[in-house]
Amino acid sequence: MAARLNDKITAALVALGICLLVYISLMSSLLVILIIVALLVVLLTYCEKTGLIDTVFQLMGKNTTLTSVIFGLFIISLPFLVKGNNDLLHIMIIAGIMGIVALGLNFQIGGIGQINFAPAVFYGVGAYTTAYLSVRLGVSPWLGTIAGVCLATLTGVIIGLPALKARGYYLALVTIALQTIFTLMIINIPAVGGPNGIPGIPYYQIFGYSLHSRVEVFGLTLPYQVNYLYLVYIVFALAIVAASRLFKSRYGIAWNAVDQDPVVAATQGINLTSIQLLSFCLGAAFAGMAGALYAHYTGFISNENFDFSQSLILICMVILGGSDNVPGVITGALLLTMIDQKLADYANYRLLMYGLVLIIILLVRSKGLLPKRIRIYGERDTGMSNGDAKLAAGAGGKR
Amino acid sequence: MDALKTLKTEKVGINFGGLKAVEKLDFEIGDETVGLIGPNGSGKTTFLNIISGIYKPSEGRVIFKGEELNSFTPDAIRKKGISRTFQTNRLCMNLSVIDNLLLGLYCEQKTSWWQAIFNRSLAMQEINRGIDKCFGAISVFNPEIVDRAYELISTIPLIDRRRIEIARAIVGRPKLLLLDEPTAGLNKEETHQMIEDITKIRDSGDRISIIIIEHDMSVISKISDRVVCLNAGQKIAEGSFEEVSQNENVCMAYLGG
Repeated sequence: MAARLNDKITAALVALGICLLVYISLMSSLLVILIIVALLVVLLTYCEKTGLIDTVFQLMGKNTTLTSVIFGLFIISLPFLVKGNNDLLHIMIIAGIMGIVALGLNFQIGGIGQINFAPAVFYGVGAYTTAYLSVRLGVSPWLGTIAGVCLATLTGVIIGLPALKARGYYLALVTIALQTIFTLMIINIPAVGGPNGIPGIPYYQIFGYSLHSRVEVFGLTLPYQVNYLYLVYIVFALAIVAASRLFKSRYGIAWNAVDQDPVVAATQGINLTSIQLLSFCLGAAFAGMAGALYAHYTGFISNENFDFSQSLILICMVILGGSDNVPGVITGALLLTMIDQKLADYANYRLLMYGLVLIIILLVRSKGLLPKRIRIYGERDTGMSNGDAKLAAGAGGKR
Repeated sequence: MDALKTLKTEKVGINFGGLKAVEKLDFEIGDETVGLIGPNGSGKTTFLNIISGIYKPSEGRVIFKGEELNSFTPDAIRKKGISRTFQTNRLCMNLSVIDNLLLGLYCEQKTSWWQAIFNRSLAMQEINRGIDKCFGAISVFNPEIVDRAYELISTIPLIDRRRIEIARAIVGRPKLLLLDEPTAGLNKEETHQMIEDITKIRDSGDRISIIIIEHDMSVISKISDRVVCLNAGQKIAEGSFEEVSQNENVCMAYLGG
């Protein structure tokens, strides 16, 4: 009983520590973020060597309700913590949106081990569908969002079916071509605004209340970003739950098997086409949802939001954070969005510095900040004692 | 009578360019263990690859329980009840022991991706049932592997990897099991253990048909009810181990001359 309480307290402290780290990073200048990243790298490497990281993951896994509540409270209180600073809230919203796309992209990179260079296409299809429907046809933004998700998924099927016959470098080339075609298409189609993009996208409304309205709480006037922060993080939380559950299901195992050895996977009864298509389509659906949120949040979209560089940033989030590991992808999305947004001040050196940060992190931690971990199905299933489970997980982590 | 046979091939053959790897092979197996022998390059593994759908035959028919399998993909063939292991150990090195075993139950499990996301209790129940089955299957060979269920395959010794691969193949209760050189790379003691393991499967009462490829004749003589010998893609002898081992063609194929 006492051990359980201790576990809960430790898990709560770790969760609070993570929240504090996010808060400090958000409030600080670029230099401080970089120092935090460096410290994080050192800490993670140390924890991995001592096996401490496995204990932490186990504790967090066992106390998901408690940690979710802490993270939830952190997001709820964030607007007050940053004193309604709309720039900082904007960074967190974008990080959430990017996180949703990255989680979807992880089904391909981490799951079936295929690099998809066109996540921004599905992200763009979601955004452009809902923008077109709501601006040109006056459809409700909510219905537009659903249509955006559906069309992005459909695009995933249409493109995935022929594209997934190729693997490795060939699939990468196909997706690069797709990304190029998409960018050129939206620039050259006047109906979707061409190079000028689509301005004036309506904001979401809930029972007549526009999410673009300022919020008055406890005598404090908060910017409209607060509404979007909550909306985006509700969707992000759902995406995290879905991705985690899929990772631990038979589909997660099957994806990894296809990545390792497609022939063996097929002889275990896994239909290669449908399992790969599933990873592609779910990824597209996540990206479509994120795209729709982005369109209705910013009110303006153009081809620059969905070009090749955007795809590259999304890929970096997955690889740098740690592919096939949901917490890793979230870390990657949060960290890179913050660095990217803070780099906005260094206009000319932005891409150079961004690239430099990526290279240094990947040199030190080639498998990402939080690499893939062994699935643990809980004590009941193993018949193992707690200590054994930790040891076993540790052995996997140190491969 | 054909309906009683688990698997039957009729004049099956496959060409790779000009090379006839398997040629007009007639083969059948009922509720028994058949040893498939022959010198290197005689087409044994190619034949298993044809049965399991990895290669499509250029000629002839593969019939499993009265149904032609020629146009079936490997996953569809696995769903029909044909399971296999590979010559070189082909476990998923990026997965833990338990995940590798669970893979063998993939086509038996029914949870859809939708249920995996929205009906967690159902999905977890199925996974837990699967884990119990996997532990049951592997415990028959070596109960100690259960304690290492959450380790990566790369940390497991070769004999246990072989056992895990065989357990993965039988956990879904197939009707026909194809074993491709299960003792390759094992020492004498381990080979003896492997013979015992395969005997356990054979005698388990599950009425499972087994085709086993082996170069070690002591394995074949102890396990097989019947032996078929291939050479240059053709069947050159068939019968009991004693009959085949004394067959002139077989001696010629192995010793040359």
